[in-house]
Order: sequence, then structure tokens, then C-alpha cells
Amino acid sequence: MKITLSVNLGGYSFNIDEDAYSELKRYLKNLEIHFAGEESSSEILSDIESRMAELFRTKLTTYKQVITIEDVNNAISVLGTPEDISNDEGTSARDKFSSPGYHRMYRDPDHRMIGGVCAGMAAYWNMDIWIVRMIFVGVTILGGLGLLVYLILYIVLPEAKTTTQKIEMKGEPVNINNIKDSVKKEFDTVRKNMNL
Amino acid sequence: MDLENTKAQMRKGILEYCILSILSRSSCYASDIIKELKDAKVIVVEGTLYPLLTRQKNAGLLSYRWEESPQGPPRKYYELTKEGKEYLADLDESWNELVESVNMIRTR
Repeated sequence: MKITLSVNLGGYSFNIDEDAYSELKRYLKNLEIHFAGEESSSEILSDIESRMAELFRTKLTTYKQVITIEDVNNAISVLGTPEDISNDEGTSARDKFSSPGYHRMYRDPDHRMIGGVCAGMAAYWNMDIWIVRMIFVGVTILGGLGLLVYLILYIVLPEAKTTTQKIEMKGEPVNINNIKDSVKKEFDTVRKNMNL
Repeated sequence: MDLENTKAQMRKGILEYCILSILSRSSCYASDIIKELKDAKVIVVEGTLYPLLTRQKNAGLLSYRWEESPQGPPRKYYELTKEGKEYLADLDESWNELVESVNMIRTR
């Protein structure tokens, strides 16, 4: 025995199983996110809801009065997930989910000697790390301020912990491909270090 | 090289062209358009149609009116606007040129 809810979908009233409702709600939410960038996204969603209601109505008979999870899954396969829709349209998911190349300075924990400050700055400017270190050492020897500047930077600059941050540190766009490549590189480095 | 990506690039734009083509023959409901596109295997899932219809409507290529339905809530009945017809004529020409070009290369 299941609990049912009463929903208004596209102007129709349906009794729907609780688990079917959760699934439907999740699907509609995903669609909302997918169409968030579109002008008239609410119109698109309401058209899709109406179509779903049409599909559900064909399932109900005198003997079957409740929308089940099978009905919901069936409707989803007919209408399509955001990925299905992207495929049909000819835009690949990678086009949609790329964030612009934020270029931020972080501390680089992967290439650090002490705190990763020089490594982080080198990544930001795409320079060799040792050159940055030499500059820092040079400034410290000459004026002594280098150490203070280093400490300040150490406190102020966040550590690049996530893959996304590490990509941003270099100023590359954050999309599926770059994330994939980054993770692969890190994986290879770990493997090499462990001589696997 | 990504085969799926190349194929997807080929399909992009064809869908919009097909929608306008269907409506040029006669005005109809979204579900009619869906049926034709599915039969012709231009789309796999129905959800693809709705954002395109809305975009084309916003661009002034289509318009719709609400038609009462005996079985339920009113439905949108789409038709091409004058701009839509002109746009389609342009696309028809473009398509013909494209087909000619590709055939020339393929059949040499």
C-alpha cells in the first residue's frame, strides 16, 4: 500500500503515488535547470507539463486511477531527459556546462616547497616556479620585505583544493573536458609516484 | 575526432528548418509536429520540440492561438507568420545549395 498525492499537472488533477511524485518532481526540476538560461523558460516548462498530463491521461482507465512510477518513467523516456534533449538539438553537454575562464590566484599545494605561494603565482602568470622563487628570495635578501609579503600572501591566497580551483588557477575554462584532463593528469602523477 | 559531435553538428539547424517546413504545409498542434518529426526520425524525444517552438515564436517566425479541446484544457495551435514564410524560403534555398555542394563532392 502506498500514499498518494493529488497534483495539478498542466491543468489536470491526478492522483499520483508518492514515489512517482518524487521522481516526477525531480525530473521537472532538472528540466527547469536545463532551461534556466532560456527566455520564456516558464512557457517551455508549462508546455512540457501539459504534454506530460496528456500522456498520463492516456494511462488512466476505469480500473487504473493512480499514476505510478512506471507511468512517470515512461513519460520521461518519451519527453526526454535534459541530456536526451541536448543530443537531439545537437548541442553537446560540454557546450552547456562550461564556466568562463575565471583567472584567480590560489596557493598551489601540488607544487609547493613551503606554502605554495610562489607555485600559485607561477601558475597564475604561467611562469616557471623557480624564477618566481628566485625573485622572492632576491627581494628578501635585498630589502627583507619578501618574507613579510610571503606571509601576507600565504594568509590571503586560498589553497587550490578542488579540481575546478586548480583549473581556474591557470585561467583555463572550466568544462567537462578540462576537468577530465586534470583528474587524469593527477591520477597519472600519483601512479608514477607509486611506481604502479 | 568525436563522431557523435560531428553528427550532432550536422543535425543542428535541421530541426528548426523541419518545424517551419511542417507548418508551411498547414497550421497544426505541437503534438502533430512531434509525430511528423518522430516519423521522419528527426527527433528522438519530444522535449526537444518545445524550447524550439518557443524560440521561433519569440523570434516572430510562428504564432499560436489557443484552441478549445473537448477532452481537456485548450491547446496551442501554431502557424507560420509572414516573417516565418520568408525565413523558410531562405532556408529552402540554403538547403538546396548545401545538398548540391555535398553531392558534387560525393559523386565526383
